[in-house]
This record gives sequence, C-alpha cells and structure tokens, in this order.
Amino acid sequence: MQNWYPGDKDGKGGIYNFVTKRGKALANAKVTWTQVETGSAITWKYPSCILQGDNSVGEFYSVAVTNNRQQADTGTKMVHLGRNTRSTIVSKGISAGHGQNTYRGLVRIGKGARGARNFSQCDSLLIGDRCGAHTFPYLEVKNTSSQVEHEASTSKIGEDQIFYCRQRGLSTEDAVNLIVNGFCKEVFRELPMEFAVEAQKLLSVSLEGSVG
Amino acid sequence: MLEIRNLQAKAGDRQILNGIDLTVSPGEVHAIMGPNGSGKSTLAGALAGRDGIEVTGGSATFKGQDLLELEPEERAREGLFLAFQYPVEIPGVNNAYLLKAALNEVRKHRGQPELDAMDFMTLVRKRMSLLEMDDALLNRPVNDGFSGGEKKRNEIFQLAVLEPTLAILDETDSGLDIDALKTVAGGVNAMRSPERSMVVVTHYQRLLHYIVPDFVHVLARGRIVKSGGKELALELEEKGYGWLDAEPARPAVASGVSLHETSTA
Repeated sequence: MQNWYPGDKDGKGGIYNFVTKRGKALANAKVTWTQVETGSAITWKYPSCILQGDNSVGEFYSVAVTNNRQQADTGTKMVHLGRNTRSTIVSKGISAGHGQNTYRGLVRIGKGARGARNFSQCDSLLIGDRCGAHTFPYLEVKNTSSQVEHEASTSKIGEDQIFYCRQRGLSTEDAVNLIVNGFCKEVFRELPMEFAVEAQKLLSVSLEGSVG
Repeated sequence: MLEIRNLQAKAGDRQILNGIDLTVSPGEVHAIMGPNGSGKSTLAGALAGRDGIEVTGGSATFKGQDLLELEPEERAREGLFLAFQYPVEIPGVNNAYLLKAALNEVRKHRGQPELDAMDFMTLVRKRMSLLEMDDALLNRPVNDGFSGGEKKRNEIFQLAVLEPTLAILDETDSGLDIDALKTVAGGVNAMRSPERSMVVVTHYQRLLHYIVPDFVHVLARGRIVKSGGKELALELEEKGYGWLDAEPARPAVASGVSLHETSTA
C-alpha cells in the first residue's frame, strides 16, 4: 500500500514514485503481489514475477486510484520460463477529477514454458468526465501449448446510479464508496481483513469530493 | 402525509407539470393514470428529487416539512420511497449490501439501532418470501443481469424491507407478465397499512385490478384533469383517454368516496 503525498489540487509539490520489484519463483513456488496505490503525483510501479521453476505460480492484484491531477502507470510482468507455470493478473483502476490511470503489463511465455497459462483482467472505473483510463497489455507467447486470456472493461459511475442509491437513503459519498468498493472487491478479498478495512477507508478519503 | 399545491416542473428545457394539486392522507392509495407524455414520471421524479427535473413553482409538503427543500437522501430517510420505472444496474455491488446500507441509514434517521448481519438476514428472508424471490438474487449485483420482472420484484422487495411511509410506484407494472404482476401486487398489498400511503403511477388499468386504489386521478398535459374513485379507472379503460379532452378541468383535491371497505384485495 502506497500513499505518498500527491501534491495540491494541481499536483504541485507531489512525490514521483518509481518502483520495480521482482520475485523469482522456483519449482512449485508462488509469488503474489497485492498493491493499493492512492498517493504520489506520478506513480510508475511494476512488481513482477519470474516463474522459473516448473509449476510455479505468479499473482498480481492491484487497485490504483487517481484524483485531481494524479497519474498512475502501473502493472506487472509475468515471465513464464518453467513448464505448467500459471499467472493471474487482476488490475482495477479508478480515475476521478483529472486523474489518469494506466495499466501496462507484459505476459511473456518462453519457448520452454510448455502448458503455461495466464489470465488477465483489467477493469477501469471513471468518475466524472475529465479523467482517463488506458490499458496496454503486452503478450508474447513463444510456444503453442500455452493459453493466455485477457479481459478488459471500462465503466463509469453514472448519475442515475448515484441517484438510485440516494433515493434509498445513502449520501452521495456513501454511494460512490459503495460502488467503488464493489468494483475493487476481487482485489480487496485478497487482503487480510484488517488491511482490507484500512484500504477501503483510504480509498474513500482519496475520492472525497470527487462527485457533486 | 403529502400535500402538493400548484406544482410546476421542467424536465430539461420542457415545461411538463403545469400546476398539480394532490392531497394524500395516511393509509390512502392513489392511482395516477394518464397517456404517454402527460407528466406521470416527471411528477414521481420531482417528488423524489431527481436530477434534471427542476421545480419552477408551487409547493409540496411531506409530513409537514417542505419536501422540495430536502436532498433526495433526506426525503428517502424521511420515508419517501420511489419504485423506479427503470431500476438502475450497479455492477459489482451486492444487492443485499446496498439494502443493508440503505436500511441502516433509514433506521439511524429514525433513531433506531442499526441492524447487524444476522438480524438483517432474518428480516430479509421474511420479506423475500412475500415476493416469492429467489435467494440467489440477494447475492447478485444490484439489478445487474436481472430480467425485467426480477428488477420490478426487487424494487417492491426493497420497499418491503425499508418500510417507507409514502411509496411511489412508477409504472411498476410495465414489463411484467401476468403471474409476476400478481406476485408484485400481492407484495404491495401486504404492505398496505393505515400509516402507509401509496401513489401508484400507471398507464394501464390492469394493475389496478390487483392493487385497488382509493382514488384515481387522471393526468393530462401536466395537470390533473379528473379525479374519482376506483370506478374512474374502469371508465378510462372503456373510453380511453380521448374523451377527457372534452371535459373541463376539475380541482383534484380528492372528493371521491373512500373505498376502504371494498379495497381489501
């Protein structure tokens, strides 16, 4: 979880955060990255997995939020070298204000990684009409026995959704939090419970005042 | 309960409501009928505080408060419930989760303690059997992938859980087959009580066979042009809306005979 100073409303004075991390998985091992990105004026962050051993597993779960003038460019590299290696990527990007969110990821399946499998899912949620979401999935497959899947979606919190929640008694902010948490559910359930609660709170603080 | 005086409203740039007068007392069920474009949904939207509907004149008081001054969520917490004509889909948000959040907001406002998950589920199961709803609908995302009938059932189910004092049903019958209509009407009828009022907005008389109203009002060109008892709905079915054009507008303050004795559907 990273929540560096994002700067003022125009992003002035904010931290630039650049992170590369790699985990190497030997035979039957598993490496999981779970990240919640809410801070920094600009984030470049790509925690990656080298799946060297046979049957090793790599996972990447990410929630990135940008508000005001923040930019987040984040994703992972899954490098499949061993046989029957598996990887899962779930990336959730939320953009509000003038925020820009980019998923940039590489799935490379080497020649010897027979029977390797990858599943990637990249979902973007837009709040307002001045923000953006971008997805750059790179797939390199060097053998014929592997299976690579990529799914992506972009949706927007609609005024009609917020009105529906308000008509049921929720405030606008609670409605946004409800929708955002629903959107991030698949990532948050990978977190330990206490941590997931903190992450939800951090998200709601980061998005304060983004609607209405 | 609800007093509407000379209410005028615009939807976008168009003037839709041209002076609505309506009084709803506790326990009464009022039907609002009218042809397409007469302003039925605009009236429902104006009462709930929907964005894009601008009240340009008149007043509406709800339980003695100026309704139009309140935010939509304040109206909801005060006990005004709108069953949507087109229930909104919210992917990713669990149906039960939204409902629990909504119920606890309402309870907080009433000064009642919030319900925990166990008590909430007990209440929910009781209400679900009322609507003959499938358990699975609880754990699916709000209205996402629901059939037309499931969505409408879900609206009435929410009504049954939230127990509002004033329920506005906006074309709840549209898109329902006859069996679903009966179930939904059964759910609505079970919620009728001397403290709870309902405003049933509908295009067709069909629904009023099952939810028998105390009063029927006909809306045309943004005004209530005729009010009466439940037999007015039958008359409309026979003659259509055309014959009303010839009639002079009558004040809508309900003058019909109370039909409580006969309305135990």
